[in-house]
Amino acid sequence: MAESTDLLQGTLDLLILQTLDLGPMHGWGVAQRIQQVSRDALQIGQGSLYPALHRLEYKGWIRADWGISENNRRAKFYSLTETGRKQLEAELESWERLSGAIGLVLGRIPEAAS
Amino acid sequence: MMRDWLTRCRFMISQPKPDELDEEPRFHVEQAAEARTAAGVATVEARRQALIEFGGVERVREQCYQQRPGWWMGTVAQDVRYALRGFRRNLVFTIAVIATLAVGIGATTAVFSVVDRILFRPLPYAQGDRLVSVGLGQPLERQEFTLGGFFFEWRDNQKPFQSITYEMSYGDCNLTETEPVHLHCISVAQNFVPTMGIPLQLGRNFTVEEDIPNGPRVAMITDGLWLRRFNRSPDAVNQQINVDGHLTRIVGVLPRDFEMPRLQPTDILQPAQVDIAAQHTVNSGIGYPMWAFARLKPGVSIAQAKAEMQPLFLHTQQWIPPELRKEFQLQVRSLRDRQMQDAYAAAWVLLGAVLVVLLIACANVASLFSARGAARQRELAVRSALGASRVRLVRQTLTEAFLLAFAGAAAGCLFSEILLRVFIAIAPTGVPFLTSARLDLRIVLFTVLVSFLCAALFGIVPALEKPRAIALAARQTKSGAHARLRRLLVAMQIGLSVVLLSGASLLVRSFWNLQRQNLGIETRNVITVHVPLNGERHPAGFLDFYLRAEAALRRLPGVSAVGMTDSLPPIGGQGMRYSELRVVGRTPTPGGRGGTLAVRHVTPDYFRAFQIPIVNGAGFTDAERNSKDHFMILSRELAARMFPGEDPVGNHVEVAVFNPYLAPGPIYTVVGVAANVKNAGLTGDDSPELYELATNQPDTWSLHHFFVLDSSLPVSLVAPLIRSSVAQLDPTAPVEISTMTRTVSQLADRPRFETALLGFFALCGLLMAVIGLYGVISFVATQRTQEIGVRMALGATRVDILRLIMGEGVRLIALGGLLGLGAALAAAQLLKSLLFHVGARDPWTYAGVVGVLGMVALTATLIPARAAMKVEPVVALRYE
Repeated sequence: MAESTDLLQGTLDLLILQTLDLGPMHGWGVAQRIQQVSRDALQIGQGSLYPALHRLEYKGWIRADWGISENNRRAKFYSLTETGRKQLEAELESWERLSGAIGLVLGRIPEAAS
Repeated sequence: MMRDWLTRCRFMISQPKPDELDEEPRFHVEQAAEARTAAGVATVEARRQALIEFGGVERVREQCYQQRPGWWMGTVAQDVRYALRGFRRNLVFTIAVIATLAVGIGATTAVFSVVDRILFRPLPYAQGDRLVSVGLGQPLERQEFTLGGFFFEWRDNQKPFQSITYEMSYGDCNLTETEPVHLHCISVAQNFVPTMGIPLQLGRNFTVEEDIPNGPRVAMITDGLWLRRFNRSPDAVNQQINVDGHLTRIVGVLPRDFEMPRLQPTDILQPAQVDIAAQHTVNSGIGYPMWAFARLKPGVSIAQAKAEMQPLFLHTQQWIPPELRKEFQLQVRSLRDRQMQDAYAAAWVLLGAVLVVLLIACANVASLFSARGAARQRELAVRSALGASRVRLVRQTLTEAFLLAFAGAAAGCLFSEILLRVFIAIAPTGVPFLTSARLDLRIVLFTVLVSFLCAALFGIVPALEKPRAIALAARQTKSGAHARLRRLLVAMQIGLSVVLLSGASLLVRSFWNLQRQNLGIETRNVITVHVPLNGERHPAGFLDFYLRAEAALRRLPGVSAVGMTDSLPPIGGQGMRYSELRVVGRTPTPGGRGGTLAVRHVTPDYFRAFQIPIVNGAGFTDAERNSKDHFMILSRELAARMFPGEDPVGNHVEVAVFNPYLAPGPIYTVVGVAANVKNAGLTGDDSPELYELATNQPDTWSLHHFFVLDSSLPVSLVAPLIRSSVAQLDPTAPVEISTMTRTVSQLADRPRFETALLGFFALCGLLMAVIGLYGVISFVATQRTQEIGVRMALGATRVDILRLIMGEGVRLIALGGLLGLGAALAAAQLLKSLLFHVGARDPWTYAGVVGVLGMVALTATLIPARAAMKVEPVVALRYE
């Protein structure tokens, strides 16, 4: 198992929103998805995943509905709300600005490319 | 934004079902286990690994729960419930804290509300802090005044003021309409209202054309008169009222909170209409007395203004007779200072006393909380071990402190409202603005905050400390530092109550002296009658009226003597300089030396009505009243001073007059020496007194004479007879009837009020200090129960135990008493100006206070000590 990378503060929310943008998903699915896409680099601990999901729900960015999972079990499915979608766009934009800026400082991105 | 907020509200209202919080992690673990089984791990092992990977289910659940907006409100409710349970279990503690807070908060709030009006109230004038009183001070009249001969020169040449104005109090006037009413009319300059910054309710200010000699008769009326006479009708403006027989047009109505800068009662303002040119000729060439007030220019300080006025003052000194010049000084001070001079001392003492009470209350609450904290160390350790966070423990303590502070504040507000009503009921009329005092919310808030901080600070200390494992195991908790702190707090309380008690005792003794002093006059059975006459109705002078009224009053049943005087003891009469007297045939006293005298203008019966003994000579006779000569009686003190070792009777004394300089005046024959009588109020330093016989010369009688009647019948029976007798002579004259007993008792109102208040606070303070002492000693005794058991088992007698516990209390009492005595001696200096015939360091008072406090405090320690003594050793050993 590859060593997991510490997530930047606030990045977890962005990852969850981005993942849910693909469609409704339950908590386990969100964790698996992030792990796969990041090629095991990002492992979301349950201790932070579920509180984050609840937090986003209370903020009204995602919605939770009880549904039936692929193996016929009752599970809570999370989906992006309209506000959540707008929030995702805003967060993506600010993330790009931030990562671009950090890239510039570290000299990893040629100036022309940015 | 709105949607956001609505979502939050929805979640706050709808409770999540607890099984939902459970089901989600369970699903997660099952999924994880399945994934592992699919990868070939055995089912049981897969589940075990999944569970390990997931970590604490309970923790995740807790964290999810805490994401909820407003989740902490649930725990607050928990804290409150827990605190209330604790209070119910420990009723004595709860009641002690609430009672202490109620007394502390209540007393502080009530007194602050009163004192605030006296010390810090805003003046009812626009930018009142820029108003100053400008004038001359001299020994006969320390409150600055000015004279027409000075004022107008000042007004025309001054630089530091935006404007300067004056008022002249002519005082009495009568509304002579259907029913005569006695009013207070005041003459003011045309620019008085704008200079003071008084907004009129209705109408306009006087015009310049109305403030010239013999100008039109116009008036501004106060809100009170507007209500009484016109029922606040707006038609009042431009109406005419009859003042002293003159039709006077109302031009304006003064605001509801209007007051004169010198606070004298007022109904009507009239333009002064002063003839400025005549001010250097009238009143012996110095002009009419007046009181000047000015508005400082922005940025000019009072000291600067005074410095700038000094050359003007020196220039106008030329109008003062040279022998008196050096007596006069220029005075410029803020209006507030002028208004409050004698209320300041009492207000500060009261404020100091009540802050001490608040301090004691806080110390009490603090030590109660600290004691409870120490006793709860184990409970805190247990809760901490069960997973309560430090924050949670602190919050619990804060919740308790807040609840108690809240309950205390509620009780305190109630208490202060009652106190305030009591103050207003018992307060003398002389305390300014008391009746308008209201509970001030800022002050309530302040005191509640202070007491909350006291409780919170000392409650938190044990919760903040790292809960020690030992506290869990120990059968006995003991924290040296806290115990020392508590003892210090108790010693401080005892010390503070010594300060309060000694202050109160000094005032009580002073009041006692005041009441028991010999005034030199008999006040029982003496009725005084004042008839403010209207000059217009008595064009030939007042003598005729007075003589006929005297004869009519003499005929009343039960009246044995009817004297007349121009002033009533124990207040001084007119002032006069000692140097204005000259014994015929001797060299005069140099000008300005020898201080002042009190002069009264009286008839022979004055001495009979007041039973003032004539100790030498015959006194005045009725035959002398018809003489054209002048006669005087000296007080014993004055006689001893003017004629040391000689018999003054038969000597002749010349009294100087101003004309415009001191000039030889009439020559009086001394016909007697009277015993000394108080003539500077109850507390002032008496002046030597001079009585002039009021002879039947019309020009010596003013409209301000009093009748003094010695009556064997009660005033309630005589009063209607007096009224009807006077009404037969002048039906328009109002009659004011009082008794000397009432007059003198009103003079003592103020000290009585101060004494009662300080006494009350001292008792509150003592009570709280004793509760504090009792609490700490009984706490110590309980904590040492086991130790007592061991000691007794090892052979200590019960007396030894008593000594052990009492020793603790005695040490605290001695320490607190000693500290308090020192502080009290220092604080007593503040009281000095309020004390009468008792030193601020009166040893008997302090001995008494220490004695009483020692007795009470020892009793408070004796009770828990006796309880400790009676403990059965076996029970004590097994304690806890």
